[in-house]
Amino acid sequence: MKRFGLMIAVTVLASLVSLMTGITHASPIAEVSKLQGDLTISAATSLTDAFTVLAKQFRKVNKGLKVHLNFGSSSTLVAQIQSGAPSDVMASADLTNLEKLVASGNVVVTPKVFARNTMAIAVKLGNPKSVRSVTDLASLSFIALCGKTVPCGVYAASVLTRAGVVIAETKVTRGIDVKATLSAVANGDADAAIVYKTDVLAAKKTVVGIDIPSAQNVKAMYGIAPIQGSKNPANAKAFIDFVLSEQGWQILKSFGFERR
Amino acid sequence: MSTKKRRVGAETPAFVWVGASCALLFLLLPLVGLLKRVAWSGIFGSVTSGPASEALRLSLITSVFATMIALVLGLPLAWVLARIEFRGRSMVRALVMLPMVLPPVVGGVALLGAYGKSNGLIGGWLFDVFGLQLTFSPLGVVIAEAFVALPFLVMAVESGLRSIDPRFEESAATMGLGPSERFWKVTFRLLAPSLIAGVAVAWARALGEFGATITFAGNIEGRTQTTPLAVYLLLESDPEAAYALSFVLLAVCVAVLVAMRGSWMGRRS
Repeated sequence: MKRFGLMIAVTVLASLVSLMTGITHASPIAEVSKLQGDLTISAATSLTDAFTVLAKQFRKVNKGLKVHLNFGSSSTLVAQIQSGAPSDVMASADLTNLEKLVASGNVVVTPKVFARNTMAIAVKLGNPKSVRSVTDLASLSFIALCGKTVPCGVYAASVLTRAGVVIAETKVTRGIDVKATLSAVANGDADAAIVYKTDVLAAKKTVVGIDIPSAQNVKAMYGIAPIQGSKNPANAKAFIDFVLSEQGWQILKSFGFERR
Repeated sequence: MSTKKRRVGAETPAFVWVGASCALLFLLLPLVGLLKRVAWSGIFGSVTSGPASEALRLSLITSVFATMIALVLGLPLAWVLARIEFRGRSMVRALVMLPMVLPPVVGGVALLGAYGKSNGLIGGWLFDVFGLQLTFSPLGVVIAEAFVALPFLVMAVESGLRSIDPRFEESAATMGLGPSERFWKVTFRLLAPSLIAGVAVAWARALGEFGATITFAGNIEGRTQTTPLAVYLLLESDPEAAYALSFVLLAVCVAVLVAMRGSWMGRRS
Protein backbone atom coordinates (compact mmCIF):
# COMPACT_ATOMS: atom_id res chain seq x y z
CA MET A 1 0.00 0.00 0.00
CA LYS A 2 2.88 2.29 0.88
CA ARG A 3 4.25 1.87 -2.61
CA PHE A 4 1.01 2.88 -4.23
CA GLY A 5 0.98 5.99 -2.05
CA LEU A 6 4.45 6.77 -3.25
CA MET A 7 3.43 6.14 -6.83
CA ILE A 8 0.51 8.52 -6.53
CA ALA A 9 2.81 11.13 -4.97
CA VAL A 10 5.26 10.71 -7.84
CA THR A 11 2.47 10.95 -10.39
CA VAL A 12 1.01 14.05 -8.80
CA LEU A 13 4.47 15.60 -8.69
CA ALA A 14 5.05 14.68 -12.33
CA SER A 15 1.78 16.24 -13.42
CA LEU A 16 2.53 19.35 -11.33
CA VAL A 17 5.91 19.66 -13.01
CA SER A 18 4.39 19.23 -16.45
CA LEU A 19 1.76 21.81 -15.52
CA MET A 20 4.45 24.24 -14.40
CA THR A 21 6.51 23.77 -17.52
CA GLY A 22 3.31 24.39 -19.41
CA ILE A 23 2.98 27.71 -17.66
CA THR A 24 6.59 28.81 -18.03
CA HIS A 25 6.83 27.95 -21.71
CA ALA A 26 4.63 29.91 -24.04
CA SER A 27 3.79 26.85 -26.13
CA PRO A 28 4.26 23.38 -24.64
CA ILE A 29 3.14 21.83 -27.90
CA ALA A 30 5.96 23.50 -29.79
CA GLU A 31 8.38 22.01 -27.31
CA VAL A 32 7.19 18.43 -27.57
CA SER A 33 6.89 18.69 -31.34
CA LYS A 34 10.70 18.57 -31.46
CA LEU A 35 10.42 14.82 -30.90
CA GLN A 36 11.80 12.85 -33.80
CA GLY A 37 12.29 9.27 -34.84
CA ASP A 38 10.41 6.23 -33.62
CA LEU A 39 8.36 5.27 -30.61
CA THR A 40 7.35 1.65 -30.06
CA ILE A 41 4.68 1.07 -27.45
CA SER A 42 3.89 -2.42 -26.16
CA ALA A 43 0.47 -2.40 -24.54
CA ALA A 44 -1.97 -4.90 -23.08
CA THR A 45 -4.73 -6.03 -25.45
CA SER A 46 -7.36 -4.41 -23.22
CA LEU A 47 -5.72 -1.05 -24.03
CA THR A 48 -6.09 -1.51 -27.80
CA ASP A 49 -8.78 1.11 -28.40
CA ALA A 50 -7.66 3.62 -25.79
CA PHE A 51 -3.99 3.50 -26.78
CA THR A 52 -4.81 3.73 -30.48
CA VAL A 53 -6.51 7.07 -29.77
CA LEU A 54 -3.81 8.16 -27.31
CA ALA A 55 -1.12 7.44 -29.90
CA LYS A 56 -3.09 9.29 -32.56
CA GLN A 57 -3.45 12.37 -30.37
CA PHE A 58 0.21 12.16 -29.39
CA ARG A 59 1.17 12.06 -33.07
CA LYS A 60 -0.95 15.11 -33.74
CA VAL A 61 1.35 17.26 -31.62
CA ASN A 62 4.50 15.35 -32.63
CA LYS A 63 4.24 15.21 -36.38
CA GLY A 64 7.83 14.05 -36.90
CA LEU A 65 7.29 10.94 -34.83
CA LYS A 66 6.64 7.43 -36.07
CA VAL A 67 4.52 5.65 -33.46
CA HIS A 68 4.31 1.85 -33.52
CA LEU A 69 1.77 0.05 -31.37
CA ASN A 70 2.27 -3.55 -30.36
CA PHE A 71 -0.67 -5.16 -28.57
CA GLY A 72 -0.69 -8.54 -26.87
CA SER A 73 -1.42 -10.12 -23.53
CA SER A 74 0.81 -8.49 -20.90
CA SER A 75 2.73 -11.72 -20.24
CA THR A 76 3.41 -12.19 -23.96
CA LEU A 77 4.73 -8.63 -24.15
CA VAL A 78 7.01 -9.26 -21.17
CA ALA A 79 8.40 -12.35 -22.87
CA GLN A 80 8.95 -10.36 -26.08
CA ILE A 81 10.78 -7.56 -24.28
CA GLN A 82 12.88 -9.99 -22.25
CA SER A 83 14.00 -11.69 -25.43
CA GLY A 84 15.13 -8.36 -26.82
CA ALA A 85 12.21 -7.14 -28.95
CA PRO A 86 12.72 -3.39 -29.43
CA SER A 87 10.20 -1.53 -27.33
CA ASP A 88 10.33 1.92 -25.74
CA VAL A 89 7.30 1.83 -23.46
CA MET A 90 5.41 -0.99 -21.80
CA ALA A 91 1.84 -0.56 -20.57
CA SER A 92 0.56 -3.57 -18.67
CA ALA A 93 -2.87 -4.59 -17.40
CA ASP A 94 -1.31 -5.31 -14.00
CA LEU A 95 1.77 -4.44 -11.98
CA THR A 96 3.00 -8.03 -11.62
CA ASN A 97 4.18 -8.17 -15.22
CA LEU A 98 5.99 -4.84 -14.91
CA GLU A 99 7.67 -6.17 -11.76
CA LYS A 100 8.91 -9.09 -13.85
CA LEU A 101 10.57 -6.53 -16.15
CA VAL A 102 12.03 -4.75 -13.10
CA ALA A 103 13.40 -8.08 -11.89
CA SER A 104 15.00 -8.81 -15.27
CA GLY A 105 16.49 -5.31 -15.46
CA ASN A 106 14.39 -4.22 -18.45
CA VAL A 107 12.73 -1.54 -16.34
CA VAL A 108 14.81 0.48 -13.88
CA VAL A 109 12.27 3.05 -12.66
CA THR A 110 9.19 2.50 -10.52
CA PRO A 111 6.28 1.81 -12.90
CA LYS A 112 3.43 4.33 -12.69
CA VAL A 113 -0.21 3.43 -12.32
CA PHE A 114 -2.14 5.33 -14.99
CA ALA A 115 -5.62 3.82 -14.88
CA ARG A 116 -7.78 1.21 -13.22
CA ASN A 117 -10.24 -1.25 -14.63
CA THR A 118 -12.78 -3.69 -13.27
CA MET A 119 -14.15 -6.97 -14.54
CA ALA A 120 -17.60 -7.55 -16.00
CA ILE A 121 -19.58 -10.46 -17.40
CA ALA A 122 -20.25 -10.45 -21.14
CA VAL A 123 -23.14 -12.43 -22.63
CA LYS A 124 -24.71 -12.64 -26.06
CA LEU A 125 -27.08 -9.90 -27.22
CA GLY A 126 -30.48 -10.25 -25.58
CA ASN A 127 -28.92 -12.30 -22.74
CA PRO A 128 -30.59 -15.56 -23.89
CA LYS A 129 -29.44 -17.51 -20.80
CA SER A 130 -30.71 -14.77 -18.41
CA VAL A 131 -27.38 -14.38 -16.62
CA ARG A 132 -27.61 -11.92 -13.74
CA SER A 133 -24.69 -12.70 -11.49
CA VAL A 134 -21.39 -14.53 -11.24
CA THR A 135 -23.26 -17.38 -9.52
CA ASP A 136 -25.37 -17.90 -12.67
CA LEU A 137 -22.20 -18.72 -14.62
CA ALA A 138 -21.93 -22.10 -12.90
CA SER A 139 -25.05 -23.39 -14.71
CA LEU A 140 -23.92 -22.45 -18.24
CA SER A 141 -22.47 -24.89 -20.78
CA PHE A 142 -19.32 -23.02 -21.84
CA ILE A 143 -17.53 -20.02 -20.36
CA ALA A 144 -14.71 -18.09 -22.05
CA LEU A 145 -11.85 -16.90 -19.86
CA CYS A 146 -8.37 -15.60 -20.60
CA GLY A 147 -5.33 -17.85 -20.17
CA LYS A 148 -4.60 -18.75 -16.55
CA THR A 149 -1.39 -16.76 -16.41
CA VAL A 150 -2.35 -13.58 -18.28
CA PRO A 151 -3.74 -10.72 -16.15
CA CYS A 152 -7.37 -10.94 -17.31
CA GLY A 153 -7.35 -14.67 -16.56
CA VAL A 154 -5.89 -14.08 -13.10
CA TYR A 155 -8.47 -11.37 -12.38
CA ALA A 156 -11.33 -13.58 -13.61
CA ALA A 157 -10.11 -16.36 -11.30
CA SER A 158 -10.19 -13.93 -8.34
CA VAL A 159 -13.73 -12.87 -9.24
CA LEU A 160 -14.87 -16.51 -9.28
CA THR A 161 -13.11 -17.21 -5.98
CA ARG A 162 -14.61 -14.14 -4.33
CA ALA A 163 -18.07 -15.12 -5.51
CA GLY A 164 -17.49 -18.69 -4.31
CA VAL A 165 -18.19 -20.09 -7.78
CA VAL A 166 -16.33 -23.13 -9.08
CA ILE A 167 -16.40 -23.85 -12.82
CA ALA A 168 -15.02 -27.13 -14.15
CA GLU A 169 -12.02 -26.68 -16.42
CA THR A 170 -13.81 -28.80 -19.06
CA LYS A 171 -16.34 -25.97 -19.44
CA VAL A 172 -13.75 -23.24 -19.81
CA THR A 173 -12.35 -22.23 -23.20
CA ARG A 174 -9.27 -20.07 -22.85
CA GLY A 175 -8.74 -17.19 -25.28
CA ILE A 176 -5.19 -16.21 -26.17
CA ASP A 177 -5.98 -12.65 -25.08
CA VAL A 178 -8.94 -10.61 -23.88
CA LYS A 179 -10.23 -9.79 -27.37
CA ALA A 180 -10.16 -13.46 -28.41
CA THR A 181 -11.93 -14.37 -25.16
CA LEU A 182 -14.71 -11.89 -25.79
CA SER A 183 -14.95 -13.02 -29.40
CA ALA A 184 -15.78 -16.55 -28.24
CA VAL A 185 -19.02 -15.08 -26.86
CA ALA A 186 -19.64 -12.52 -29.62
CA ASN A 187 -18.94 -14.80 -32.59
CA GLY A 188 -18.71 -18.27 -31.13
CA ASP A 189 -20.76 -20.52 -28.91
CA ALA A 190 -19.48 -19.54 -25.46
CA ASP A 191 -22.39 -18.49 -23.22
CA ALA A 192 -20.49 -15.93 -21.19
CA ALA A 193 -17.06 -14.45 -20.53
CA ILE A 194 -15.46 -12.59 -17.65
CA VAL A 195 -13.41 -9.79 -19.17
CA TYR A 196 -12.55 -6.17 -18.50
CA LYS A 197 -15.45 -3.77 -18.25
CA THR A 198 -13.77 -1.55 -20.86
CA ASP A 199 -13.77 -4.41 -23.37
CA VAL A 200 -17.44 -5.09 -22.76
CA LEU A 201 -18.17 -1.41 -23.36
CA ALA A 202 -16.10 -1.41 -26.55
CA ALA A 203 -17.99 -4.45 -27.85
CA LYS A 204 -21.47 -3.26 -26.99
CA LYS A 205 -22.65 -3.94 -30.54
CA THR A 206 -21.97 -7.66 -30.14
CA VAL A 207 -22.30 -8.42 -26.42
CA VAL A 208 -24.24 -7.28 -23.37
CA GLY A 209 -22.40 -6.45 -20.15
CA ILE A 210 -23.47 -7.46 -16.67
CA ASP A 211 -21.84 -5.62 -13.77
CA ILE A 212 -20.10 -7.54 -11.04
CA PRO A 213 -20.67 -6.04 -7.55
CA SER A 214 -17.54 -4.49 -6.07
CA ALA A 215 -17.47 -7.03 -3.20
CA GLN A 216 -16.79 -9.75 -5.78
CA ASN A 217 -14.85 -7.58 -8.19
CA VAL A 218 -11.18 -6.70 -8.51
CA LYS A 219 -9.44 -3.42 -9.24
CA ALA A 220 -7.04 -4.01 -12.07
CA MET A 221 -4.12 -1.57 -11.82
CA TYR A 222 -2.68 -0.54 -15.18
CA GLY A 223 1.00 0.33 -15.02
CA ILE A 224 3.33 2.04 -17.47
CA ALA A 225 7.11 2.27 -17.59
CA PRO A 226 9.91 3.14 -20.02
CA ILE A 227 12.06 0.23 -21.16
CA GLN A 228 15.73 0.37 -20.15
CA GLY A 229 18.13 0.61 -23.06
CA SER A 230 15.49 1.87 -25.49
CA LYS A 231 16.81 3.89 -28.42
CA ASN A 232 14.19 6.58 -27.91
CA PRO A 233 14.15 7.43 -24.19
CA ALA A 234 12.99 11.04 -24.73
CA ASN A 235 10.05 9.89 -26.85
CA ALA A 236 9.18 7.24 -24.26
CA LYS A 237 9.21 9.76 -21.43
CA ALA A 238 7.10 12.27 -23.38
CA PHE A 239 4.51 9.64 -24.20
CA ILE A 240 4.28 8.42 -20.59
CA ASP A 241 3.84 12.03 -19.46
CA PHE A 242 1.09 12.42 -22.05
CA VAL A 243 -0.72 9.28 -20.80
CA LEU A 244 -0.51 10.64 -17.25
CA SER A 245 -1.66 14.14 -18.27
CA GLU A 246 -5.21 15.44 -17.94
CA GLN A 247 -5.70 15.12 -21.71
CA GLY A 248 -4.53 11.52 -21.53
CA TRP A 249 -6.86 10.81 -18.64
CA GLN A 250 -9.83 12.22 -20.55
CA ILE A 251 -9.14 9.79 -23.39
CA LEU A 252 -8.78 6.82 -21.01
CA LYS A 253 -11.96 7.84 -19.23
CA SER A 254 -13.89 7.94 -22.48
CA PHE A 255 -13.12 4.22 -22.88
CA GLY A 256 -14.44 3.38 -19.43
CA PHE A 257 -11.21 3.30 -17.44
CA GLU A 258 -11.30 4.50 -13.86
CA ARG A 259 -9.14 7.10 -12.16
CA ARG A 260 -5.79 5.72 -11.10
CA MET B 1 27.14 -40.88 -61.43
CA SER B 2 29.81 -39.00 -59.49
CA THR B 3 31.52 -37.60 -62.58
CA LYS B 4 28.19 -36.33 -63.84
CA LYS B 5 27.53 -34.59 -60.53
CA ARG B 6 30.89 -32.83 -60.61
CA ARG B 7 30.33 -31.57 -64.14
CA VAL B 8 26.92 -30.10 -63.24
CA GLY B 9 28.46 -28.52 -60.13
CA ALA B 10 31.15 -26.81 -62.15
CA GLU B 11 28.54 -25.20 -64.36
CA THR B 12 26.55 -23.82 -61.42
CA PRO B 13 27.18 -20.09 -60.96
CA ALA B 14 28.55 -18.98 -57.58
CA PHE B 15 25.48 -16.91 -56.68
CA VAL B 16 23.32 -20.03 -56.81
CA TRP B 17 25.54 -21.75 -54.24
CA VAL B 18 25.53 -18.65 -52.03
CA GLY B 19 21.75 -18.24 -52.33
CA ALA B 20 21.06 -21.90 -51.68
CA SER B 21 23.33 -21.92 -48.63
CA CYS B 22 21.60 -18.82 -47.26
CA ALA B 23 18.20 -20.43 -47.83
CA LEU B 24 19.26 -23.59 -46.03
CA LEU B 25 20.70 -21.59 -43.13
CA PHE B 26 17.52 -19.50 -42.98
CA LEU B 27 15.46 -22.66 -42.58
CA LEU B 28 17.80 -24.49 -40.22
CA LEU B 29 18.76 -21.73 -37.80
CA PRO B 30 15.35 -21.51 -36.05
CA LEU B 31 15.32 -25.30 -35.69
CA VAL B 32 18.74 -25.20 -34.03
CA GLY B 33 17.42 -22.39 -31.82
CA LEU B 34 14.49 -24.56 -30.77
CA LEU B 35 16.67 -27.59 -30.07
CA LYS B 36 19.00 -25.45 -27.98
CA ARG B 37 16.12 -24.39 -25.75
CA VAL B 38 14.83 -27.88 -25.07
CA ALA B 39 15.71 -29.02 -21.55
CA TRP B 40 16.71 -32.55 -22.51
CA SER B 41 17.07 -33.92 -19.00
CA GLY B 42 13.47 -33.07 -18.07
CA ILE B 43 11.87 -33.65 -21.46
CA PHE B 44 10.16 -36.90 -20.54
CA GLY B 45 8.62 -35.37 -17.43
CA SER B 46 7.50 -32.26 -19.32
CA VAL B 47 5.80 -34.23 -22.07
CA THR B 48 4.10 -36.71 -19.74
CA SER B 49 2.85 -34.03 -17.31
CA GLY B 50 -0.90 -33.31 -17.07
CA PRO B 51 -1.85 -30.73 -19.72
CA ALA B 52 0.99 -31.67 -22.10
CA SER B 53 0.21 -35.38 -22.24
CA GLU B 54 -3.52 -34.69 -22.56
CA ALA B 55 -2.81 -32.31 -25.44
CA LEU B 56 -0.62 -34.91 -27.16
CA ARG B 57 -3.23 -37.63 -26.73
CA LEU B 58 -5.98 -35.35 -28.06
CA SER B 59 -3.80 -34.24 -30.99
CA LEU B 60 -3.02 -37.81 -31.92
CA ILE B 61 -6.66 -38.93 -31.88
CA THR B 62 -8.14 -35.88 -33.63
CA SER B 63 -5.44 -35.71 -36.32
CA VAL B 64 -5.90 -39.39 -37.19
CA PHE B 65 -9.67 -38.94 -37.52
CA ALA B 66 -9.20 -35.73 -39.52
CA THR B 67 -6.84 -37.56 -41.89
CA MET B 68 -9.38 -40.35 -42.32
CA ILE B 69 -12.07 -37.81 -43.22
CA ALA B 70 -9.64 -36.13 -45.61
CA LEU B 71 -8.90 -39.49 -47.22
CA VAL B 72 -12.51 -40.65 -47.56
CA LEU B 73 -13.66 -37.32 -48.98
CA GLY B 74 -10.46 -36.34 -50.74
CA LEU B 75 -9.88 -39.45 -52.84
CA PRO B 76 -13.16 -39.20 -54.83
CA LEU B 77 -12.70 -35.45 -55.21
CA ALA B 78 -9.15 -35.89 -56.51
CA TRP B 79 -10.45 -38.53 -58.90
CA VAL B 80 -13.08 -36.18 -60.31
CA LEU B 81 -10.58 -33.34 -60.65
CA ALA B 82 -7.97 -35.52 -62.33
CA ARG B 83 -10.06 -37.71 -64.61
CA ILE B 84 -13.32 -35.97 -65.49
CA GLU B 85 -13.58 -33.04 -67.87
CA PHE B 86 -16.31 -30.61 -66.91
CA ARG B 87 -17.06 -26.93 -67.18
CA GLY B 88 -15.61 -24.91 -64.34
CA ARG B 89 -13.16 -27.62 -63.26
CA SER B 90 -10.34 -25.14 -62.70
CA MET B 91 -12.75 -23.05 -60.66
CA VAL B 92 -13.61 -26.03 -58.47
CA ARG B 93 -9.93 -26.85 -58.08
CA ALA B 94 -9.20 -23.28 -56.95
CA LEU B 95 -12.01 -23.49 -54.38
CA VAL B 96 -10.66 -26.81 -53.08
CA MET B 97 -7.20 -25.29 -52.65
CA LEU B 98 -8.59 -22.24 -50.83
CA PRO B 99 -8.08 -23.56 -47.25
CA MET B 100 -4.37 -24.01 -48.09
CA VAL B 101 -3.82 -20.31 -48.65
CA LEU B 102 -6.57 -18.96 -46.39
CA PRO B 103 -5.32 -17.71 -43.00
CA PRO B 104 -6.37 -20.52 -40.63
CA VAL B 105 -8.15 -18.07 -38.29
CA VAL B 106 -10.34 -17.02 -41.21
CA GLY B 107 -11.00 -20.70 -41.80
CA GLY B 108 -12.12 -20.96 -38.18
CA VAL B 109 -14.43 -17.97 -38.56
CA ALA B 110 -15.86 -19.55 -41.71
CA LEU B 111 -16.44 -22.84 -39.86
CA LEU B 112 -18.27 -20.90 -37.13
CA GLY B 113 -20.39 -19.35 -39.86
CA ALA B 114 -21.38 -22.83 -41.01
CA TYR B 115 -21.45 -25.01 -37.89
CA GLY B 116 -21.67 -22.54 -34.98
CA LYS B 117 -24.54 -23.44 -32.67
CA SER B 118 -25.79 -19.90 -32.10
CA ASN B 119 -25.30 -18.32 -35.52
CA GLY B 120 -24.01 -20.88 -38.00
CA LEU B 121 -25.81 -21.84 -41.22
CA ILE B 122 -26.56 -25.41 -40.12
CA GLY B 123 -25.06 -25.47 -36.60
CA GLY B 124 -28.33 -24.63 -34.87
CA TRP B 125 -30.16 -27.26 -36.90
CA LEU B 126 -27.50 -29.90 -36.09
CA PHE B 127 -27.99 -29.15 -32.41
CA ASP B 128 -31.80 -29.09 -32.46
CA VAL B 129 -32.20 -32.26 -34.52
CA PHE B 130 -29.22 -34.38 -33.46
CA GLY B 131 -28.15 -32.66 -30.25
CA LEU B 132 -24.76 -32.24 -31.92
CA GLN B 133 -22.57 -29.32 -30.93
CA LEU B 134 -19.33 -29.14 -32.88
CA THR B 135 -17.95 -26.02 -31.23
CA PHE B 136 -16.01 -26.71 -28.02
CA SER B 137 -16.03 -30.43 -28.77
CA PRO B 138 -13.25 -32.81 -29.88
CA LEU B 139 -15.34 -33.46 -33.00
CA GLY B 140 -15.06 -29.75 -33.77
CA VAL B 141 -11.27 -30.10 -33.57
CA VAL B 142 -11.49 -32.96 -36.09
CA ILE B 143 -13.64 -30.81 -38.42
CA ALA B 144 -11.24 -27.86 -38.20
CA GLU B 145 -8.23 -30.09 -38.85
CA ALA B 146 -9.92 -31.93 -41.73
CA PHE B 147 -10.90 -28.60 -43.28
CA VAL B 148 -7.28 -27.47 -43.57
CA ALA B 149 -5.81 -30.93 -44.30
CA LEU B 150 -8.19 -32.00 -47.09
CA PRO B 151 -6.67 -29.81 -49.85
CA PHE B 152 -3.20 -31.23 -49.19
CA LEU B 153 -4.48 -34.74 -49.72
CA VAL B 154 -6.48 -33.79 -52.81
CA MET B 155 -3.49 -32.09 -54.36
CA ALA B 156 -1.11 -35.00 -53.77
CA VAL B 157 -3.58 -37.62 -54.97
CA GLU B 158 -4.70 -35.62 -58.00
CA SER B 159 -1.14 -35.21 -59.27
CA GLY B 160 -0.57 -38.89 -58.56
CA LEU B 161 -3.61 -39.86 -60.64
CA ARG B 162 -2.49 -37.63 -63.49
CA SER B 163 0.95 -39.24 -63.55
CA ILE B 164 -0.50 -42.76 -64.02
CA ASP B 165 -0.21 -43.84 -67.63
CA PRO B 166 -3.81 -44.56 -68.75
CA ARG B 167 -2.54 -47.46 -70.90
CA PHE B 168 -2.14 -49.62 -67.78
CA GLU B 169 -5.80 -49.23 -66.94
CA GLU B 170 -6.83 -49.59 -70.59
CA SER B 171 -5.00 -52.87 -70.90
CA ALA B 172 -6.58 -54.06 -67.66
CA ALA B 173 -9.96 -53.23 -69.17
CA THR B 174 -9.15 -55.23 -72.32
CA MET B 175 -8.29 -58.16 -70.04
CA GLY B 176 -11.86 -57.99 -68.83
CA LEU B 177 -11.47 -56.37 -65.41
CA GLY B 178 -14.49 -54.38 -64.14
CA PRO B 179 -14.19 -50.76 -62.97
CA SER B 180 -13.82 -51.49 -59.25
CA GLU B 181 -11.44 -54.42 -59.83
CA ARG B 182 -9.45 -52.20 -62.16
CA PHE B 183 -9.26 -49.56 -59.46
CA TRP B 184 -8.03 -51.88 -56.69
CA LYS B 185 -5.71 -54.03 -58.81
CA VAL B 186 -4.17 -51.38 -61.06
CA THR B 187 -4.90 -47.75 -60.22
CA PHE B 188 -4.69 -48.13 -56.47
CA ARG B 189 -1.34 -49.89 -56.61
CA LEU B 190 0.13 -47.30 -58.94
CA LEU B 191 -1.37 -44.54 -56.83
CA ALA B 192 -0.12 -45.88 -53.50
CA PRO B 193 3.05 -43.74 -53.28
CA SER B 194 1.18 -40.45 -53.85
CA LEU B 195 -1.60 -41.64 -51.60
CA ILE B 196 0.87 -42.29 -48.78
CA ALA B 197 2.53 -38.93 -49.40
CA GLY B 198 -0.87 -37.19 -49.41
CA VAL B 199 -1.93 -38.91 -46.19
CA ALA B 200 1.37 -38.02 -44.51
CA VAL B 201 1.20 -34.36 -45.49
CA ALA B 202 -2.49 -34.10 -44.56
CA TRP B 203 -1.81 -35.72 -41.19
CA ALA B 204 1.14 -33.40 -40.47
CA ARG B 205 -0.99 -30.42 -41.38
CA ALA B 206 -3.84 -31.62 -39.14
CA LEU B 207 -1.40 -32.20 -36.29
CA GLY B 208 -0.02 -28.67 -36.55
CA GLU B 209 -3.38 -26.91 -36.93
CA PHE B 210 -3.75 -23.89 -34.65
CA GLY B 211 -5.83 -20.96 -35.94
CA ALA B 212 -8.94 -22.74 -37.18
CA THR B 213 -8.98 -24.98 -34.11
CA ILE B 214 -8.79 -22.26 -31.46
CA THR B 215 -11.31 -20.10 -33.32
CA PHE B 216 -13.83 -22.82 -34.03
CA ALA B 217 -13.35 -25.51 -31.38
CA GLY B 218 -12.00 -23.29 -28.61
CA ASN B 219 -9.23 -24.03 -26.17
CA ILE B 220 -10.53 -26.32 -23.43
CA GLU B 221 -7.95 -28.33 -21.50
CA GLY B 222 -8.35 -32.05 -22.13
CA ARG B 223 -11.20 -31.44 -24.56
CA THR B 224 -10.14 -29.20 -27.44
CA GLN B 225 -6.67 -28.05 -26.41
CA THR B 226 -4.43 -29.72 -28.99
CA THR B 227 -0.63 -29.71 -28.82
CA PRO B 228 -0.05 -26.49 -30.82
CA LEU B 229 -2.57 -24.68 -28.60
CA ALA B 230 -0.89 -26.08 -25.49
CA VAL B 231 2.51 -24.95 -26.80
CA TYR B 232 1.19 -21.42 -27.20
CA LEU B 233 -0.36 -21.26 -23.74
CA LEU B 234 2.46 -23.09 -21.96
CA LEU B 235 4.99 -20.68 -23.46
CA GLU B 236 3.88 -18.23 -20.80
CA SER B 237 3.29 -20.47 -17.80
CA ASP B 238 5.68 -23.39 -18.34
CA PRO B 239 8.20 -22.65 -21.13
CA GLU B 240 10.09 -25.92 -20.56
CA ALA B 241 6.97 -27.95 -21.31
CA ALA B 242 6.27 -25.73 -24.34
CA TYR B 243 9.72 -26.40 -25.80
CA ALA B 244 9.44 -30.10 -25.03
CA LEU B 245 6.10 -30.29 -26.86
CA SER B 246 7.52 -28.26 -29.74
CA PHE B 247 10.32 -30.79 -30.03
CA VAL B 248 7.82 -33.67 -30.12
CA LEU B 249 5.92 -31.96 -32.96
CA LEU B 250 9.19 -31.30 -34.78
CA ALA B 251 10.30 -34.92 -34.40
CA VAL B 252 6.95 -36.19 -35.69
CA CYS B 253 7.17 -33.92 -38.75
CA VAL B 254 10.72 -35.10 -39.48
CA ALA B 255 9.51 -38.69 -39.22
CA VAL B 256 6.69 -37.91 -41.68
CA LEU B 257 9.15 -36.42 -44.16
CA VAL B 258 11.44 -39.42 -43.88
CA ALA B 259 8.50 -41.75 -44.45
CA MET B 260 7.45 -39.74 -47.51
CA ARG B 261 10.93 -39.88 -48.94
CA GLY B 262 10.74 -43.65 -48.58
CA SER B 263 7.47 -43.76 -50.48
CA TRP B 264 8.88 -41.67 -53.31
CA MET B 265 11.91 -43.89 -53.57
CA GLY B 266 9.55 -46.81 -53.81
CA ARG B 267 7.90 -45.15 -56.75
CA ARG B 268 11.17 -44.73 -58.59
CA SER B 269 12.27 -48.35 -58.35
